[in-house]
Amino acid sequence: MTTVGRNQQEVAVMAHLLRRAGFGATRDQIDQYVAKGYEETVEDLLNPVAARPEDQDLMDRYFIASVEARTVTHADPQWSWRLATTEKPLEEKIALFWHSLLAVGGIKLDHGLEMLTEIDLFRRLGLGSFRTLLFEISRNPGMMYWLDNQNSHKGAPNENYGRELLELFSMGIDDLGEGSYSEDDVKAAARAFTGWASKPTPPPFFLGPFPMEFRFDATDHDNDNKLFLGESGNFDGGDIIDIIVTKRATARFVALRLYLFFVSDEPDDAEIERLTDIFQETDGDIRAILRSLFNSDHFKSENVRFRKVKSPAELVFGAARLTDRFDIPDMDSSTLANQAMFMGQHLLNPPGVEGWHEGEEWVDSGSLIERINFAASELGRTDSTGIHRMIALVENAGDGIGPEEFVEVCLDAMGSIDLGSGSKAVLVEHAAQNGPGTPGALDGAERIVEMFQLIVSTPDYQYC
Amino acid sequence: MGLENFAYSHTIGIASFLGRGFMNPVDMRLDSKGNLFVLSRSNAANMNVRISVQTMESDYMYEFGLWGTDPGQTTQPTAIVLDVDDRVLVTDEFMHNVSIFDSEGKFIERWGEFGSGDGQFNRPSGMAMDSEGNIQIVDHLNARVQKFSPDGRFISSFGTFGSGDGEFNFPWGISLDAEDGIWIADWRNDRVQRFTPDGEFVSSLGTSGSGDGEFDRPSGVHVAADGTLYVADWRNDRVQVFGAGGAHSETLMGDATLSKWCQEFLDVNPEQASWREGAGLFEQEKKFWRPSAIETNDDGLVLIADSCRHRIQIYQRTAVLASV
Repeated sequence: MTTVGRNQQEVAVMAHLLRRAGFGATRDQIDQYVAKGYEETVEDLLNPVAARPEDQDLMDRYFIASVEARTVTHADPQWSWRLATTEKPLEEKIALFWHSLLAVGGIKLDHGLEMLTEIDLFRRLGLGSFRTLLFEISRNPGMMYWLDNQNSHKGAPNENYGRELLELFSMGIDDLGEGSYSEDDVKAAARAFTGWASKPTPPPFFLGPFPMEFRFDATDHDNDNKLFLGESGNFDGGDIIDIIVTKRATARFVALRLYLFFVSDEPDDAEIERLTDIFQETDGDIRAILRSLFNSDHFKSENVRFRKVKSPAELVFGAARLTDRFDIPDMDSSTLANQAMFMGQHLLNPPGVEGWHEGEEWVDSGSLIERINFAASELGRTDSTGIHRMIALVENAGDGIGPEEFVEVCLDAMGSIDLGSGSKAVLVEHAAQNGPGTPGALDGAERIVEMFQLIVSTPDYQYC
Repeated sequence: MGLENFAYSHTIGIASFLGRGFMNPVDMRLDSKGNLFVLSRSNAANMNVRISVQTMESDYMYEFGLWGTDPGQTTQPTAIVLDVDDRVLVTDEFMHNVSIFDSEGKFIERWGEFGSGDGQFNRPSGMAMDSEGNIQIVDHLNARVQKFSPDGRFISSFGTFGSGDGEFNFPWGISLDAEDGIWIADWRNDRVQRFTPDGEFVSSLGTSGSGDGEFDRPSGVHVAADGTLYVADWRNDRVQVFGAGGAHSETLMGDATLSKWCQEFLDVNPEQASWREGAGLFEQEKKFWRPSAIETNDDGLVLIADSCRHRIQIYQRTAVLASV
């Protein structure tokens, strides 16, 4: 491979990493990371240090209602801003991952303040120990309320949390609906979590919401012996989690979900088994699993590039970040979450405890139109710094380039993305028929922007 | 510790998107008749902004300046001031302008546009009126204070971005003292700066922190007629009071009781009242949450916009501090 070819390959792999571990990157950013090196970039993503000054104060100033967000809609500007501007993209990406896996939804818990607290928990703990995360989410007052644990009492346990903890949060069930646990294990887990609840707060209708807090009521906790997954003891919720995280079923469940989110919509059994092993070897260290995942030849291979359907959040914030137009929170940044909602992903409000059904289910005829319209609109923001930079990159290639090269240069300027041969051929044909000087055709920057907009309107752009 | 120079009086407000009540009140002013004009900022994206008028006895009167960009509407309002004729001026940081209404809310005119030239704005915020009716406006993303004639003609400006004397970093509130001296809540520099009426730097008060005389993003500043300085210490959820020479005198943390409107709401919604009793967070209910502005009157009343609790907490001065 030539030096040029090697560099192109490095750029393509780096762009792939930044799409999956974040929301994509500008061409300049990709070059900076390539210069740093792939493994070093993985470490940066896994151990982020933000260079920007803290800007939470600005968010709060301009969107004061989001400080005491009474509903998830009031909270939207906060997460929109983070997603659109963060310099710690994997921190937000892992928060999105856990938000869908350990899902709490506004359909029942319409408490924006608590939802933001939960997202912050995912930021803080999402790349660390799965045991710690599972323990803390089990002490999360929003989760306790969402899954009815305040109605789980000594002598009258509510099984909802115990069941979902096993089925949806840790061990999972197979295609036949069978789990690695029994109904008796569900009942034992429910008994172990009795007394775990959220403190009551005043109704929000006259002074706004109050922060939720966890409460353990020892007098309402079942202290009798329990038999859980073959072990016997006076278990409480923490003991149950300690047992769960040692099971290979849990390791495999988490490995599978990480693989589906970060690598491909189609599971690869061998790779998932390898990640399962790492989970067990590291006591469920999510950072270690992702380090191995991102650095693997499997992840870097062309076979998994552009094979994942972008979630609405990935599409919206990926396109918005390309424009690089958010210096200070404003009305535009505050409404980005609405765009994802129009495409079927209402952030802070997953449709149920199963979170969102991802992959191909993201796209239907209605959401596809929303996706294309939004992305084309973003790429048409010629007053933004990011689009200016992209236009300059294409212009630097010179006026004399042919239609094929023109399309390739545009794809490269947009963050080294790629399209299938069919879509490319259509774009090349369009570029050829509407080249410089062609009567009625656009010229200069307008022609370039038009090509950007055509690129994001292709079916291929729906994949990352 | 109890209050030393103040007694808690009462609270006005209830969380409400329309009509009786407020939604994230960020500023307020009393008119010549003692009626209270409250500017509800809400979440601008949710369209619930407005100016509402009520008596100090919680009798709701009317509202105006609802969400929008047409003349007579507001989108992201930041400050309100009343002139000697009780005309109402409102700054809007989305439209970068000032809208003017008569005392009953009828739209009169608006002026201002986006930019960094003389008379232009980049997110205007705090606003105050001097003894001659001229208007001082904090033009916060241009890091300056601009002075306008009563009819909106640009007169002068001062300030630039930075952290040195006379420089600003996202300034917010403004107040004028009895001699038209200018006090600015220099929000992201965590200090209050004092200037002469011509904009010459005089002194600076405060530094970052949570102790007495320290600030965490001060939003509102108010110099009462007797010279007492009040600072809405926004992210510390308190109001600090300063006396002679800038000496810290007292800190108000919030003492709210149920407002008349809240009590009436709970009276007709017993299930909500029961829910509240069960939670039992009565001490927490009293506290300020992001107080953003202060107003006083000649009777010694001190009104504080308790922005995230959707109410105005009112104190009565019980002792006179030495003037600053």
